[in-house]
Amino acid sequence: MAAAVETQGLAKTYPGGVRALAGLDLRIERGEVFGYLGPNGAGKSTTIRLLLDLIHPTAGRASVLGIDSRLAEARRAVGYLPGDLRLGDRMTAREQLDSLARLRGGVDPRLREELCDRFKVVLDRPIRHLSKGNRQKVGIVQAFMHRPELVVLDEPSSGLDPLLQAELRTLLRETAGDGRTVFLSSHSLDEVQHIADRVGIIRAGRLVDLDSVDRLRERALRHVTIVFAEPVEPERFVRLDGVRLDHADGSVLRLSAPEPAMDAVVKEAAAHRVVDLVSQPADLEEIFLELYEEPDAS
Amino acid sequence: MPAELIRRGLLDHRRALLGWCLGVIGYTALLASIFPSFKGSADLQKLVQRYPDALKALLGLSSGSFATGPGFLDAELFSLMLPLLVLVLAIGSGARAYAGEEEAGRLELLLSYPLRRRGAVLAKGSALAGEVVVFCAVGFGSLAVLSAIFGLDLDFGRLAAAMGSLAVLGLFFGWLALALGAAFPSKVLALGISAGFAAAAYLVGGLHSLAGWLDPLRFLSPFWLVGQSPLEDGVNGWGILVVLAASAAIIGAGAALSERRDLETP
Repeated sequence: MAAAVETQGLAKTYPGGVRALAGLDLRIERGEVFGYLGPNGAGKSTTIRLLLDLIHPTAGRASVLGIDSRLAEARRAVGYLPGDLRLGDRMTAREQLDSLARLRGGVDPRLREELCDRFKVVLDRPIRHLSKGNRQKVGIVQAFMHRPELVVLDEPSSGLDPLLQAELRTLLRETAGDGRTVFLSSHSLDEVQHIADRVGIIRAGRLVDLDSVDRLRERALRHVTIVFAEPVEPERFVRLDGVRLDHADGSVLRLSAPEPAMDAVVKEAAAHRVVDLVSQPADLEEIFLELYEEPDAS
Repeated sequence: MPAELIRRGLLDHRRALLGWCLGVIGYTALLASIFPSFKGSADLQKLVQRYPDALKALLGLSSGSFATGPGFLDAELFSLMLPLLVLVLAIGSGARAYAGEEEAGRLELLLSYPLRRRGAVLAKGSALAGEVVVFCAVGFGSLAVLSAIFGLDLDFGRLAAAMGSLAVLGLFFGWLALALGAAFPSKVLALGISAGFAAAAYLVGGLHSLAGWLDPLRFLSPFWLVGQSPLEDGVNGWGILVVLAASAAIIGAGAALSERRDLETP
């Protein structure tokens, strides 16, 4: 089966010379929850809008569910929740969903109703009177009501309370469990790390990292503090692969080490008399921020 | 062309359209109710004859008489007020339908659905045509009833043709505004160019016979092409066909150009 999303050298430079995306190569398999992470203005929405043919690439190409993204047909089995959702303000949510369902050429009314129940959509008040969170729920329902093969969500949790955020996470896991695909864009790792199988991190229009969440966690550094009975030479630890010395004060060592280096660190420490050893859990946020802050890869 | 977008386009503008229809009924009723005091007045006829030629040309008084129903309505309604109403309705609706919706950010979700942009433009164009036709039909109905009440002596065939020519004018300028908004992401530009062209075309249509250098430009004026004293002189059939063909070409070009550009985010 064709990949859910595939791009080759996909690039977008806006008139005026702003390079929003520089040659993106990405392949997202079916049944995957893909987290697309980056700070604001990194090119996340540009990528999504290219995939949906709302804007046209200056170079490269993209296919969605095996169909060239420039064709309307490619969007038939796609659901989209925009980052800045604008609905028909005078309509009620029910009228809006009716209208969008007709535009789809009909959807299963039971699935739609089930989604409305699940997310407690306020159906019979004009949308202009709804809060941001209540509008967002309408957006979620319309993105899922036709059982799409690919759902593209741009910052979906904004405005949702924690309970509904959890409900959305459950829905995303179910969707992937059915073999369908979720493309989840966010600027917050927290929103993505518990549901995504893989994450891509984008900065200034370039994909700077692409890895599974498990591997990212592995790569994330542990902060290890070892207290020895007598002073030790820090160099014995620094020469270990991946280990960084944060602080050395006679018999107290503070190190940063990725998970695979932990074994070597402990074995080296065991050569001395150890008073205490503390290892703080992996912090994904840190590696994420590190990637954010690196100077431009170009 | 997605039928849902036509339906939506009509429903979204239904309140405004209702207002316009009530407005045209009220205005025509007001005007028709003062006609009996003009009817058959020879003094008035003499007064009008002394108007400067430019004024007579603009007011549509050149050929006819103020003292007959058709002459009175050509001068008071069809020379300025009705075209103005139809054009404001059509240009406003055309500029709102695409460029306005785009600026409000509402096209983002719509165009993520599996429809072609040109289909969306044509659907919105159809909805606009519906609005213009409803407005002109209401104007026809209103004048037909008023004619019987106030003795305007209107020929219903001519009245229908006159309202039809008005609808064609509305279609032309409304589709121009819609097409401009589809081709370029600016509601102000769509409104401005359409309204500016309408104003210029109106002046050329009214004054070409007085200012020699304007005369060759009359072929570019939809007002001149459809005929400017429709109740007294009848409409110009081939001119209407030319304006219709131009309208179709404009909306077609707008639909094609909409595919080429990026959708703007608000």
